[in-house]
Amino acid sequence: MTLLECKNLTKLYGKHTALSDISFQIDSGHIIGILGPNGSGKTTLLKLITGLLSPTSGTVYVKEEPIGPASKSIISYLPDHTYLNKNLRIQDIIDFFADFYEDFDSLRAYDMMAKLQINPRQKLKTLSKGTQEKVQLILVMSRHASLYILDEPLAGVDPAARDYILDTILSNYDENASILISTHLISDIENILDEVIFIQDGSLHTHALVDELREKDHKSIDTIFREVFKC
Amino acid sequence: MLKKLLKYEWKETARLLLPINLALIVLTVLGCAMLSTSIFDSEVSIFFAVPLLILYIISIIAFSSVTIIYIYVRFYKNLYTAEGYLMHTLPVTPMQLFHSKLIVGCSWFCLNSLLSSLSFMALGFAAGFHQASTNIYLDTTNINLDPSISFADIFGYPVPVFLLWLLAIMVFSAFSSILMGYVSILLGQQMERNKLAASVAFYFGIYMVIQIITSVAMMVPEFLIMKDMTDEEFMTIMLSETFRMAFPMMTIIYLIMSIVFYIICRVLMNRRVNLD
Repeated sequence: MTLLECKNLTKLYGKHTALSDISFQIDSGHIIGILGPNGSGKTTLLKLITGLLSPTSGTVYVKEEPIGPASKSIISYLPDHTYLNKNLRIQDIIDFFADFYEDFDSLRAYDMMAKLQINPRQKLKTLSKGTQEKVQLILVMSRHASLYILDEPLAGVDPAARDYILDTILSNYDENASILISTHLISDIENILDEVIFIQDGSLHTHALVDELREKDHKSIDTIFREVFKC
Repeated sequence: MLKKLLKYEWKETARLLLPINLALIVLTVLGCAMLSTSIFDSEVSIFFAVPLLILYIISIIAFSSVTIIYIYVRFYKNLYTAEGYLMHTLPVTPMQLFHSKLIVGCSWFCLNSLLSSLSFMALGFAAGFHQASTNIYLDTTNINLDPSISFADIFGYPVPVFLLWLLAIMVFSAFSSILMGYVSILLGQQMERNKLAASVAFYFGIYMVIQIITSVAMMVPEFLIMKDMTDEEFMTIMLSETFRMAFPMMTIIYLIMSIVFYIICRVLMNRRVNLD
């Protein structure tokens, strides 16, 4: 069964076209990179899939169902900014996730917090920005979701933290699940990707398997990206 | 899922609104305690009694204002700012999100209104009881109370019915006030840009329209009742007739407003969101 299907997605902001006629399908068990320069429409696409934006035209189906409570129960989404109430203690946020998401694994979350020496009794606002982002990632990856949507999880963090984030993603997702990960830091994630989707000026430029693309052009994805999006 | 949403909504809103209502209770107890003593019996006490009374009234208004503004801000912040990214990706329907906010918001608003009313009554009772017990200013020999005049003759209804009307007005006005704020916020969200400013503009626009409609709705029947009255009738039954006319009218107005605002909210909530 197709896990995610986007059909002719278009999003207009007034006269500005953020996304234009995007169509693609994703199956289970893949890691897909949504790649494109800043402002290309990556975040808009991910927000359309999670239901945070409504398309001007086109449709999104998750397991053949339109976006709704059923699809939201199997999608684990990490936005590109802090979205949790910073006045809450981490343990309260874990309780919140456990209450609303049946697939949330509290033990896994506490275990990952302990490994990072984060005290769950601390309020989110007392943590550094980098640690807050790690807490969010831990919460998102503590779910046994069918589709993980990670918007720029590597932006603004140091290389050591990037390694931790990638390790957390790879070691916590179910093999039958898929991950949509948007970034413009290609070299950091190139080796974990199965498929890539290049977005250019709101349009789908390329959707291909990583291995096929490498073999065809005899270049790394990072090099192909630089050539495609050369300023 | 609604139960879970309600649980977290109560927990979050209680952080601010519980202390506010507790402060109102403490203020009332302190006021009653002061009015039960003789500290306001001397003539010089007027110099600190008046500022204290003003401070009390300002506090009641401030508690009430903070409550309603917080309920609006909570709705906006929790659903349409960064926190909305979490709330709108929960496996719940938009109406479950809305109902959790509405039920909890109205409950806090009703509680605050009820406590404010009880506070006024308690302070009035404490002052009256103290005056009666000390008999300092009240010379009952000079008051000609007509024993045949009942509460109903003055206020239009017997005490239990009068209180029931007040309760009904309180509940319906809470719903219409909260829903008016929610409608304004939801209308603001339909704009392409400056959504918050648009929400504030919608609120004041709706408020003005409602004020005009309610003023006309209240004045016309009152005028029709009063126009054929003699001066004597006007002086004796004006108050009771006003209450008799105003209470059902206010209840109907608040009820209609609540229904209209709820329908608008329902339509707007079920439109898909567009979070910036």
